[in-house]
Amino acid sequence: MAARKSIQLFDLSKSYGSVGVLRDVNLEFRPGEVHAILGANGAGKSTLLGCLSGAVLPTSGTIQIDDDEFKGFTPREALEAGISIIYQHFQLAMTLSVSDNVFLGDERQTRWRFLKKHEQERLTSEVLAKIGLELNPSDIVEDLSIGEQQGIEIARSVRREPRLLILDEPTAALGKHEVEALLKLVRRLAREVGVAVIYVTHLLGEVMKVADRVSILREGRVLWTKRRDEVTVADMIKAISPDVAATNAAVVRMASPGVLATFKDFETSYCGPFDFSINEGEIIGIYGMLGSGRTDLLETIAGARRHWNGTLRLAEEELAHHSVSQAMMSGVALVASDRIAQSLFASLSAQENLMMPHYSAIARLWRGPRKEMRIFNKVAGEVKLLPASSTTAGSSFSGGNAQKLVLGRWLVGIGDVRLLLLDEPTQGVDVGSRAQIYNLLRKFTEDTVGRAVLFATSDPEEAISLADRIIVLVNGEVKHVVDPSLGEAELMSLAQSVEVSHGVDH
Amino acid sequence: MTPMARGVARTPSRLFRKILVSAIGFVMPLATLVLMAFFAVNTSAFLTFDNFVAIVSQNAAVIIITAACAMLLMAGYVDLSVGSLMGLVGVVAGLLFLKGGVIAGISGALVVGFGWGLMNGVLIGIFELSPIVVTLGGLAAARGIALALAPKAVYGFPDFIVELGSGKFLGLAYIGWIALAFATASIVIISTTAFGKHILAIGVNQRASFLVGIRVKRTILTLYILTGLAVAVGAILIVARLDSAPSGTLGVGMEITVLTAILLGGVPFTGGRGSMWRVLLGVWFLTVLRNGLALMNVGAEFTNIISGTVLVVAAGLEVLQMHLRQRA
Repeated sequence: MAARKSIQLFDLSKSYGSVGVLRDVNLEFRPGEVHAILGANGAGKSTLLGCLSGAVLPTSGTIQIDDDEFKGFTPREALEAGISIIYQHFQLAMTLSVSDNVFLGDERQTRWRFLKKHEQERLTSEVLAKIGLELNPSDIVEDLSIGEQQGIEIARSVRREPRLLILDEPTAALGKHEVEALLKLVRRLAREVGVAVIYVTHLLGEVMKVADRVSILREGRVLWTKRRDEVTVADMIKAISPDVAATNAAVVRMASPGVLATFKDFETSYCGPFDFSINEGEIIGIYGMLGSGRTDLLETIAGARRHWNGTLRLAEEELAHHSVSQAMMSGVALVASDRIAQSLFASLSAQENLMMPHYSAIARLWRGPRKEMRIFNKVAGEVKLLPASSTTAGSSFSGGNAQKLVLGRWLVGIGDVRLLLLDEPTQGVDVGSRAQIYNLLRKFTEDTVGRAVLFATSDPEEAISLADRIIVLVNGEVKHVVDPSLGEAELMSLAQSVEVSHGVDH
Repeated sequence: MTPMARGVARTPSRLFRKILVSAIGFVMPLATLVLMAFFAVNTSAFLTFDNFVAIVSQNAAVIIITAACAMLLMAGYVDLSVGSLMGLVGVVAGLLFLKGGVIAGISGALVVGFGWGLMNGVLIGIFELSPIVVTLGGLAAARGIALALAPKAVYGFPDFIVELGSGKFLGLAYIGWIALAFATASIVIISTTAFGKHILAIGVNQRASFLVGIRVKRTILTLYILTGLAVAVGAILIVARLDSAPSGTLGVGMEITVLTAILLGGVPFTGGRGSMWRVLLGVWFLTVLRNGLALMNVGAEFTNIISGTVLVVAAGLEVLQMHLRQRA
């Protein structure tokens, strides 16, 4: 294997119109090195990866590979230049074998277009051995574990002998053991095979275990690049998201003495057991990384999953619902996380989307269209829905407005909602609608006595801006309950599952 | 993100597309009128009150079963066993009419229809087996059971039944009135009840339906039971009209007619949209087609050729409509 030079980025920039997403990025990726890239949401990581993989065309700057300078790639050119990217959601053909997948799209064929199956299997075995994955090339993919499936994706890329392998949040879907196996594999790829690896992640613990070099992106620029043994987790946290004084200090929230909901020995499939109480009028945020159990907790409370262990009391009444409709009758409602897949009825009208949970409640037989229109107009006005048209199809609403419409379901005033649950309340929502949604939630808790909001988020800024108190969830455990004045950096450090040494005690 | 433009078409081409989308919606009604006009011109017997009454009476079962299956398909589910089930229920009813009388026959038929629907509903709605696989198996099994129960035709039913089958009220046969009642009920259910909304919601997004508290499994179970009962009623009416229950031919091919009518009515195979009015218009189109061709002494094969062609054309128009809607 000839000695390879690094891949270098010189003043790489990308703007969309007047919005600069990447600004003068200078980075070097050395063969045999694992280079971790970190940054907050919107810092430019995806755009940077896109420039390298051919999904995005840079506005200016160059990418240098060996002696060639590139101004940008198409995906095909990127592959030919030896750049390979592995995304979070693998694209494997589940019903085919390991070797079929490794060669998918690039099959070895005889002159008569027959598959050279033996040759493919032999070459697949070689690649699998190279990366240390013990699999039979003829195994069917859907029978394998998630970790092994990801390994096949990697084998697919490695077979083409890339010089640069990019891993984008590779551990999001993996369990603890599989994460260890992946990190081992990544180290092996770099050290033994000599690939230059870019590793993008939020999880700082992993960075400490696998990276040789660390770069931080902030607002499209490279803040710094250091060797891993020169940095600590605390340094990284401070760099990604510096302490921001609570910008919502202007919002004054009344603390209510009355308790609305009590969790005692509360346990779900992934979370708990824990004890907690929510006061009337409170907005409680659950902050945790992906996989910490946020969705499981919320969906269990909402009646969408297997019943919990322990007790949950809502305003003196012990809740015992086993289904979503029973939960709704007890006053518990959920706004789910992925609105396109889980909340919206794309082809139905806005009015139908708004009223769908309530049709059974308002009339067994005859619905009143005029009454419905009145309700729609009232709610559309409250949430400032745009367009405020009851007949527009659900799929026509932009992210922010679609989310407001879905939230509006529980502001209709039918079937008293007392505990409103939200999973990622402003995911994919523009800044303006986000502020509106926060205000709507605050109003919800203030307008009537005996209401509270419980939301889950992976965005520390959201947790701090919206919540009165924050539950930090780590691997299903309620590890801390903190005040938002803590600041984003501290909050993020508390949510890491790796021990972090820091000077402040909480 | 910029706010969505309000629904007013701004450019000429966008306006044109919107007009085209609405225009395509008129194709089916227009085609029906043209067809009726064609028959009116070519046969003197077509455009008479008696003939229209006859069309409704002869196709009472199809109307009833189509209404139920349309609701099922709007939720995204299908029942391919309706034709064979009709044969089975007809035979059971017939045998019970002969052995036990009117009440026995009618109750027996309803019980079998209910039970079959319950079985489908449990396997498909609760255990989540594939609807096509289960009802295809049912299609074969039901026909087999029917033939086993009555290898030879069953006939000679009590007077009440014969009267039910051929008697008239205000010029329209009893069975015609029953069919109209079912058709009306189905329109009412879909457009005015919560249940109807739930059906569409399930067809559009099952997960979202579940999360807003709709009892998805229970709704699917109910729909299959309603379909079974509809088939039972339809079987009773046909058997009454024919005064016999031919196990080998009763209901054969009915599922094709029913599905064609529903698809013509604009309900996609995946469900989630559709209007019961249009479905009933689809039934009307197909039944008028067969009736008119028969009056013109044209062979039955042509009915199938034409209805098959119409179905493919209708599917093509629907896809065209969808493309036009998306770019508008």
